[in-house]
Amino acid sequence: MMGLLALVVAMPIIVVMLSWLLPEHELWTHFSENLLSSLISSTGILLLGVGVGVTLLGTVLAYLVVMVEFPGRKWLEWALFLPFAIPAYVLAFVYLGVFDYSGYAQVWMREVLGLPGFDIRAGSWAIILTFLLVFYPYVYMMTRASFKRQKINMIEAGKLLGAGPFKVFFKISLPLARPAAAAGLLVTLMETLADFGVVSLFNYDTFTTAIYSAWGDFRSIEVAAQLASLLVLVAFFLIYFEKKARGQAKYYSANVSTIRPYHPKGSVAWLITLFVFGVFMLSFAMPMLQLVIWAWGAFADEWSANYIDLLISTSSLTIIAAMITVIIATMLALPGRCKRGSIWLKGMVRLATLGYALPGSVMAVGLLYGINQISVINIYFGGESINHIIYGSILLLLFAYVSRFMAIAYSSIDASAQQIKPVFTQTARLLGASRMRLIWQVYLPMMMPGILAGGLLVAVDVMKELPATYLLRPFGWDTLAIQTFELSAEGLFERAAVPALMMVAFGALIMMVFRYLDKKSSKAS
Amino acid sequence: MNSKTWISTIIMLSVVWVSSMSAVQAASDESVTVYSSRKEHLIKPLFQAFTQDTGVKVKYLTGKGGALIERLKLEGVNTPADMFMTVDAGNLWYAGSQDLFQSVKTDTIKNNIPAHLRDPQGLWTGLSVRARTIVYSTDRVKPSELSTYADLALPKWKNRLCLRTSKKIYTKSLTASVIYNQGKDKAGDIISGWVNNLAATPNAKDSHVMNAILAGQCDVGLVNTYYYGRLIEKNPDLALKLFWANQKTTGVHVNISGAGVTKHASNVAGATRLLEWLSSDKAQTIYGSLNKEYPANQNVAADKVVSAWGVFKQDKMNLSQAGILQADAVKLMQIKGYR
Repeated sequence: MMGLLALVVAMPIIVVMLSWLLPEHELWTHFSENLLSSLISSTGILLLGVGVGVTLLGTVLAYLVVMVEFPGRKWLEWALFLPFAIPAYVLAFVYLGVFDYSGYAQVWMREVLGLPGFDIRAGSWAIILTFLLVFYPYVYMMTRASFKRQKINMIEAGKLLGAGPFKVFFKISLPLARPAAAAGLLVTLMETLADFGVVSLFNYDTFTTAIYSAWGDFRSIEVAAQLASLLVLVAFFLIYFEKKARGQAKYYSANVSTIRPYHPKGSVAWLITLFVFGVFMLSFAMPMLQLVIWAWGAFADEWSANYIDLLISTSSLTIIAAMITVIIATMLALPGRCKRGSIWLKGMVRLATLGYALPGSVMAVGLLYGINQISVINIYFGGESINHIIYGSILLLLFAYVSRFMAIAYSSIDASAQQIKPVFTQTARLLGASRMRLIWQVYLPMMMPGILAGGLLVAVDVMKELPATYLLRPFGWDTLAIQTFELSAEGLFERAAVPALMMVAFGALIMMVFRYLDKKSSKAS
Repeated sequence: MNSKTWISTIIMLSVVWVSSMSAVQAASDESVTVYSSRKEHLIKPLFQAFTQDTGVKVKYLTGKGGALIERLKLEGVNTPADMFMTVDAGNLWYAGSQDLFQSVKTDTIKNNIPAHLRDPQGLWTGLSVRARTIVYSTDRVKPSELSTYADLALPKWKNRLCLRTSKKIYTKSLTASVIYNQGKDKAGDIISGWVNNLAATPNAKDSHVMNAILAGQCDVGLVNTYYYGRLIEKNPDLALKLFWANQKTTGVHVNISGAGVTKHASNVAGATRLLEWLSSDKAQTIYGSLNKEYPANQNVAADKVVSAWGVFKQDKMNLSQAGILQADAVKLMQIKGYR
């Protein structure tokens, strides 16, 4: 049953993999002779830089806000989540507007400081920094939750044995937070692999460049799908290594009590504030300010009643897709699934969570082709094509979201399910609780933090999603992301800032709801 | 079980809501349905004016050209689309080659749109024209130094050139025209020369190219005329000018945006009427003023900003060549390292 559910979710990925049944040689020869080696190395550099950077930045920030007392800690702890609400391509857009040769930061550097100008898009450091500032919240979010739930007695014991804050961090906190950091890193790397918006703004060639070239330039959807299936393979290995890195260790949480944070000396504390605040400035406040400046002048031109429609469709899609995804992910992650056939189930779940590494439009086309195959089979048995009923229906779009974002919901929910000690199950069973009661009264309440976090991540991602929405949406279901893209693609940045700001505001709203629920659930447990 | 009932109520409600939403699909027979890769803010005013004139409603869905073509193909006979509208001759040619259009040859269209901007078999019709030409800094470049696209490959422009990315369809069509006019070998040398002369990584957008020239990162570039038109309309005093390339040789490379009636349109009469209306004087004037493009209809004067640039000699290459040679163009640029 659960296996079938996972199989349905995995459908677009399977269709993409099946493209290998249609070999095409000529284009592969051209690609392998002229593109692939440089693409693989540039993708590798990007993944390495982003991976190392995100892990360091996310973990350090999380450790600081949980374990160290510094001025402004309370609000910065939440402010650091805010960059989630900004779509990566919007952030890239703003950074280029400010830091590119013609951006005012560089103009100021040249004219006031007399420094030479430079091409910010040459090499890979600028794009790595951009991804870093967009994606650090994934690692931050997961490790923060982990630090909060770490065993106090281990940390207290470390302190008693004379370990300083650095030693506690490296010897106790970090190893304990490893699974959380790895989960955040995994999501980051998959999203970096699938990205097309940021890399095309920087004109940085990655593997997705070849996918779009095969499709857009050479009109070969087959080779595009074959290349995309290689991304799925990379994602598979990343997940494998993450599981390997996690090892057999189980990290059951102890009873949570408040950790006593370190109180560093005044100047050190202010330095920490400066650092954390600097990250917040660069990743959120500065881009927001730029967007507001752009939107200010263009608001009168751009604003119309149409935006009410955009807001309604964006929020409906976001809420419904997040709910469906979370419900399915929870069903798949519930502990104590039947043991028989569990390899099949594990395999299916693994497959269903690989979609995140696929570029959105490849996944969307995979979905269209999958539906078309069902039609072909239906016609073969004397039925009719179902394409025109399914295509352009909201169900298909929701299906695409569920398929694409299953990975983030599942990894977050699964992590919280892993923390349920077997003793709870055993006790409940001994007391004669039915499976349904066990789920409702034991599992779900204990998994609630993971479910909420997963729901938040999916909601924000659905809100920002562009390529699949662009291709699959029904008539009249334009979203804020589409409006932002259409205007910025025509070079109308000022007007594009209006829907972009609305997206950020909506994302911030989602996060406030999350914060409220998160507080409530941690009080309850 | 408070939360339990709460959750299940929400689920039930959303299921009902979703299914009701999908049922709203059915449209009235009167309306025309358009798939368009031309952006919403550029087509909406046109369709509104059409509805005002004729009473016929237009439903539209915007998207990326390649993705919409894929959707049209898979929808086959059941497609809701009566018309497909896109930018770039290469895209139109490709949609035609995939058997997605039907032939429409009416006198109105023949009278309004010159033959070289239409498909010979009537599969698609060009509706607006844009030129891709040289833009230069009036501070650092004299117009007498400029001549052709190929000239920008000469060493005198070393570190002075900015280009848009080779991934953009307009670059591909321009390169296709260079291959068509000069042959593959010569075109390869020209592309290598361009790449050697670049002052910066190729830009994602034409507007970035112009910003880079204004900021002094480079001195010359290639852009579509309407991007320049939009910029100069806002800031008339910029130290930036257009130069008509190849006037003594093959002429400036022009491209079109256009549309065709889909092969399996359910409202052929309505779609044909819309196409005819889009080629009319009124629609062509809106086209020109909305986006600073040249009207495809030769009876219509260009927008004030646009006509100030003067007349120029156009490249007479048949525009379907842009589609036919596109794969060669991309291969060549990828081999020569033009990102």
